[in-house]
Amino acid sequence: MTDLVIETSGLRKEFAGRRGRRVAVDRLDLAVPAGGVHGFLGPNGSGKTTTIRMLLGLARATAGEMRLFGQPVPSGLPRVIGRIGAVVESPKFSPNLTGRQNLLLLARSIGAPATMVDTAVETVGLTGRERDRYKAYSLGMKQRLAIAATLLKQPDLLILDEPTNGLDPAGIREIRETIRGLGESGVTVLLSSHILAEVQQVCTSATIIGQGRLLASGRVDELVGASTAYRVGAPDPGAAVLALRDAGFTVSDDLVVETDRPAELTRTLGAAGIWLTELTPVRRDLESVFLELTAGTELGAGQ
Amino acid sequence: MTRLVGVELTRLRWRRAVLVLLLLAVVIPALIAAARVWSTRPVSEGEIASVVHGNAGQISMCAEHPRRFGLPPSADEQACTDQIVEWNTGREKLSLARERTGGSGMGVVAVLTTLVLLAATTFVGHDWNSGSMSNQLLFEPRRTRIWTAKAIAVTLVALVASALVSTAYWLTIWATVKARDLPVVDGALRDSMAYGWRGAAYATAAALGGYALTMLFRSTVATIGVLFGVAVAGGIVIATLGIGEQWQPQKNVSAIVKNGTTYWVEVPQSCYQSRPGQDTAADGCDPTRHLSLARGAGYYGTALVLTIGASVVSFRRRDVP
Repeated sequence: MTDLVIETSGLRKEFAGRRGRRVAVDRLDLAVPAGGVHGFLGPNGSGKTTTIRMLLGLARATAGEMRLFGQPVPSGLPRVIGRIGAVVESPKFSPNLTGRQNLLLLARSIGAPATMVDTAVETVGLTGRERDRYKAYSLGMKQRLAIAATLLKQPDLLILDEPTNGLDPAGIREIRETIRGLGESGVTVLLSSHILAEVQQVCTSATIIGQGRLLASGRVDELVGASTAYRVGAPDPGAAVLALRDAGFTVSDDLVVETDRPAELTRTLGAAGIWLTELTPVRRDLESVFLELTAGTELGAGQ
Repeated sequence: MTRLVGVELTRLRWRRAVLVLLLLAVVIPALIAAARVWSTRPVSEGEIASVVHGNAGQISMCAEHPRRFGLPPSADEQACTDQIVEWNTGREKLSLARERTGGSGMGVVAVLTTLVLLAATTFVGHDWNSGSMSNQLLFEPRRTRIWTAKAIAVTLVALVASALVSTAYWLTIWATVKARDLPVVDGALRDSMAYGWRGAAYATAAALGGYALTMLFRSTVATIGVLFGVAVAGGIVIATLGIGEQWQPQKNVSAIVKNGTTYWVEVPQSCYQSRPGQDTAADGCDPTRHLSLARGAGYYGTALVLTIGASVVSFRRRDVP
């Protein structure tokens, strides 16, 4: 149990509304192992942010159990909060204070020295603007400040909810590299993001939820699965299609062959005197998996 | 906890709106003091001569019938002259006792109470409005500690500000009275200081209550709206329902600040038909009642404790946006 950094069991969250109770998270079992970057995916309203907020003690669970570093949440949260950095939804700071003042207040509350603030500011590339008022910051700068705040604790676990929102492409790349670096250095990162290509590039494992329920979880390469199709190139595509169909292969008109036996495919074409010019595995990406799993679950539950 | 209180004190110091309100809490009482000093400035010889010349008849009538002029029967011509001059110039003599009973004392308490309450509610309302409360909880998830640290900071600032301003106010009035060589009864300064500090304590409690309400409603506007509604409607409801005057909010403030106050009750009609040898007090015909400091403190203390309880429970249990 303790090698799991995040663990939830039967987690449930209901909100009371005018039209009765609404289930945001429904019997969610989540397991995030130590180390690496773990993607946390789901359509809008699938319960990602609600789950994160419950894990951080900002919202109460209606039912179920949660553990962070083996400590029960919320009762054991004070024992481990110093190891956790988090950005939940949009950055939230006092608008009339400068970025540095906002960070100083947070640093002082945990007894961190002011030098930590300067280091964090430098790490996220806000040096020179840290004495500007927070309300004058662009969305990207606010996001960077929020990430700087998480670094004040030198965390073992980073929980990032859409951390690249509002960042320009260079900023996104920078944050991606930072997250990847943190993951490689032993920090466990839970990354909630809508940008699936980004998640696929950075994450070692992922959990996909829909309507507050677990849909899939595992290593990203396992989720994506092994290639079961190949794109074939041949000097005479028509002849290649005929030869393959005669041999019992399922072939599309644009020469994508569904098979898990690529050697037999090449042998068949060779026997027919057709020499390959291309044989490329057609991989599913995380987006395809995500869309398949979450089809029909959009806006099912509230965040 | 000490570290968290320090953080909250820094946060208070960095909040511009709070600083402006605290500055006003100094400036407005200073203006009130200046106005009292100016409006009670000694009447010049020329002004006295002019009034005496124009009101000689009234002065001699007063000397013959002092009670008609609100003076004791023993009042001499000088006392009558002073009274007529005061009426005509509109300038009374500055007196610590008069400032406490019907003068500017309650005004200063009202100003201090309003401003430190607004400072407290603005301070914490901003945390909710900006969403930074959730950020703070990501660094210290023990909500009771956060609530308490903010409460201590608000209470400390309100207490120090209102006690200093009250002390400065009454010292200014006392110094002015002394400078004008006016009579000061024994213990007048001590009584005035005690009055000011009771007022400061009331203002501090109000700030703490305002803070607790804002933590409950999570909005400065909602808190001010509720307090305004209670202030306006509370007295009306109490009067309409015929509930005794001892339950009126302002009477209880008065009881706290003035170390007890008097209020009036209706007495039976028979009390107005005086009989020889009647003991009005024993017959229940005395229309005055005493509202003690303890009763006033109990009245507001109960409200404060209930508000704090609801606020803490709510903050501990409700989801934080």
